[in-house]
Amino acid sequence: MTLIAFQDPLGQLPTPASTFAEEVDPLFTFLTVISIFFFTLILVVLVYSAIRYRRRRPDQPPASQMTHNTTLEVVWTLIPTVILMVTFAWGLKGNLDQQIVPADARAYTVEAWKWAWAFHHPGDDPNNPQTAAEDLYCEIGVPVRITMTSRDVLHSLYIPAFRVKRDVVPGVRQILWFRPTELGTYDLFCAEYCGDGHSLMRRKVHVVDAETFAKKPWIDIPQTPEGRGEKWYTQAGCIACHSLTDQITVGPVFKGIWMRPGQLQSGESYVADADYIRNSIRNPASQLVAGRPNWVAGAMPQFTEAQLTDEQIDDLIAWMKTLK
Amino acid sequence: MTTHTPAIETAPSATRKEPSYLDVTKGFWSWAGTLDHKRIGIMYLVGVTAAFLCGGLLALLIRLHLWTPEGMLFENGVYNQVFTLHGVFMVFLFIIPAIPASIGNFVLPLMLGAPDVALPRLNLASFYLWLVGSILTVYSIITGAVDTGWTFYTPYSIETQTSVLSMGLAIFVLGFSSIFTGLNFIVTIHKMRARGQGWFKMPLFCWAIYATSVLQVLATPVLGVTVLLLAFEHIYNIGIFDPAYGGDPILFQHFFWFYSHPAVYIMILPAMGVISEVVSVHSRKPLFGYKLIAFSSISIAVISFLVWGHHMYTSGQSEFVMMAFSFLTMLVAIPTAIKVFSWVATIWGGSVALSAPMLYAISFIIIFTIGGLTGVFLGALSVDIHLHDTYFVVAHFHAVMMGSTALAFFAGIHHWWPKMFGVMYDERLAKISAVLILIGFNVTFLPQFKMGSLGMPRRYATYVEQFQIYHQVSTVGAMILGVGFALMLGYLLHSLVAGRRARANEWGGVTLDWHTPTPPNLYNFDDEPVMAGKLYDYTELDISPTGEATFKAHKSTATVGSKA
Ligand code: HEC
Ligand SMILES: [Cu+2]
Ligand SMILES: [Cu+2]
Repeated sequence: MTLIAFQDPLGQLPTPASTFAEEVDPLFTFLTVISIFFFTLILVVLVYSAIRYRRRRPDQPPASQMTHNTTLEVVWTLIPTVILMVTFAWGLKGNLDQQIVPADARAYTVEAWKWAWAFHHPGDDPNNPQTAAEDLYCEIGVPVRITMTSRDVLHSLYIPAFRVKRDVVPGVRQILWFRPTELGTYDLFCAEYCGDGHSLMRRKVHVVDAETFAKKPWIDIPQTPEGRGEKWYTQAGCIACHSLTDQITVGPVFKGIWMRPGQLQSGESYVADADYIRNSIRNPASQLVAGRPNWVAGAMPQFTEAQLTDEQIDDLIAWMKTLK
Repeated sequence: MTTHTPAIETAPSATRKEPSYLDVTKGFWSWAGTLDHKRIGIMYLVGVTAAFLCGGLLALLIRLHLWTPEGMLFENGVYNQVFTLHGVFMVFLFIIPAIPASIGNFVLPLMLGAPDVALPRLNLASFYLWLVGSILTVYSIITGAVDTGWTFYTPYSIETQTSVLSMGLAIFVLGFSSIFTGLNFIVTIHKMRARGQGWFKMPLFCWAIYATSVLQVLATPVLGVTVLLLAFEHIYNIGIFDPAYGGDPILFQHFFWFYSHPAVYIMILPAMGVISEVVSVHSRKPLFGYKLIAFSSISIAVISFLVWGHHMYTSGQSEFVMMAFSFLTMLVAIPTAIKVFSWVATIWGGSVALSAPMLYAISFIIIFTIGGLTGVFLGALSVDIHLHDTYFVVAHFHAVMMGSTALAFFAGIHHWWPKMFGVMYDERLAKISAVLILIGFNVTFLPQFKMGSLGMPRRYATYVEQFQIYHQVSTVGAMILGVGFALMLGYLLHSLVAGRRARANEWGGVTLDWHTPTPPNLYNFDDEPVMAGKLYDYTELDISPTGEATFKAHKSTATVGSKA
């Protein structure tokens, strides 16, 4: 099913998959063509004159002493001016459409933090972290309106195929909308620098048909506690800092974490039992692990009950027991 | 009126009235405590070049790291520190001071026929502030590198554990260095022009420096204030920018770009000035559309204060505000286009020497055109939403900052090198390195435009596999650039010990700087210059069949060089 009429002929842009591409791509192509034209023009005249008028004898006088030509100067001021004004108006029009959310748009919410996204689809409870989906699902042709908030620093939600991007600002509700037009799976990026895991805030957007959408494919909660624990590990973003191999990324590795002995910065020793792990998540600053200089207060975000429920922590612990 | 004859190949000419500024005094303190604008310029030259080398090495590390999607060299956190340092070194330590403080310091008083800048002590103070700022920057690296990016966006920069505070202090100090230089040049241009040199008899480089200085003096304090507020917030937890204390992170962006957009023109205007001079001298033709170029420098300076919001199209500004910023951004492109056309028209019909400085200038025009045209993409609202914070932006500003400002800096260095040191580098090698740099630049950054359009976000330590091929080509380009710059460093240093003696007027320039002995005296001119003739009047020169340029009549100054 294809709703898009325009495809940028130069292949500079990702496959278009939302109505905004119809605004952005023709302007982008227009600018590309204009740029190639002017660049070639300047290059040709430049190289031509450098070769044609090159100094063959050291005492060669210039061929022309012209230092001024009003007609020429007016022309080369006016032509760019006209092109720039067209570009301005065209870009403005496309942008106005991005600001006006259609009334029938489906309401989603997104919360971003270091370094994960929680996508809440229509119908689920945005206050229940267990319903947060890892990927974003939307129905083809139906407009989506996302209300975005951030727990900590700036992030930016970017879906190249849809030509949309909007900063996610702590303390502010940002709105983003789009109407997907092509079935498929697309990249979703964080575009505003947010620290070590910035480049790990990559997710997928799935554009599905009405039938699939009705089945709520984003609700996919495993049956076993271990399975769920693994899901929360990715979903809540622990994955960005705690690896499952021996390779330390930001925090201590999860491989073999269950009942692992260690030392706190206060000098006390501990074993990673259920209480310790629970406390590490609920109140990380209270038990900083010794070992690396950047394991300081604040590196491990605190997760409150609203962000990660007690049951989810139980699942995580059950899953950690399996990590050998 | 004497003519001096560089009879002996290495020793300064016996018939000079006075020893050159390099020979008047010797020893460390004669440099460290100098008030001579030329020596201060040379010290800046050494300093900014060192900063450029550090920043360049970091750039190579970045490119190497991105060879594979998972990142080849660093942990993510270290990668973030590396690109932050690269940005800070290049922007604050290199590009902003590069042309005004080194070439400008050296050349501006010469072009004005002045014995020095108006405020020599302030000039030296500016250099030492730069030095302190640089040392603080290095200190911040050692005490735990900063990982915020050179933009220091809040609240990340408040929350991060790295030493943002000392880095902020460094930038605060560097800001004052920049203000001092700007203030000094404004006074110098107003007060110290040669007799007979009206405003419109000033070379375009002086106009560019003037416009830049105004920007430095007016915009830099905003940066200082922003850094101070950031420090207060960091230390006392007052809510200014951090929403956790009731602050507004977007406010920081407004403050930051209110400085940093004009800063873009602090970087590019002097570059345009250098190119205007180089293109004129090496085409042996007055600049085409002199007044239009001079006015476009000024109008760029004015409009550039009103466009900062184009860096924030995705931050949720009101549609009306975005419209205004987009419109003004388009306006600022017009004078920029005019300049490019004027340079090309100057070369047209000239007597074009394909010398090393000219090759750098031509490379500048090519890359600057790329930078300017891609800037229009980013000014267009709807397109920018897609391109913002991607590699398209990275490539665009490298075209403007690295491909243009840095190249203009090198064009200027090659152009005034014989005047500065009285020696010539190996021009054949210089041409090779100019071509290497032009090729290297395009191989590095054209793929970045492409992957940015395809949606590759910037500041990513790891990336999706789809982009790998572009990253790899880009890395190869960076290596070519590295070779080009290494070669340049090599032959320039070599020329200092074994270069041939420069001719009195190596390229046949006619502005007042070429009326000084080579290298100039301590107070530049043998006799006080009077500017009676026209500006850029190449008919003042007699050119011998071997290319020796001598002034026919001594219209503007008493001192003239002649051939051996
Ligand atoms: C921003 C990076 C980051 C994220 C995201 C993160 N952590 Fe941590 N975590 C750390 C750091 C750093 C430490 C070590 C310092 C400390 O103890 O606070 C740590 C420590 C821990 C510890 C103690 C480990 C030990 O060996 O003593 C546990 C358990 C833990 N984190 C669980 C989690 C869970 C579960 C999540 C996801 C819900 C999570 N973390 C998300 C950075 C992170
Ligand atoms: Cu991010
Ligand atoms: Cu700007």
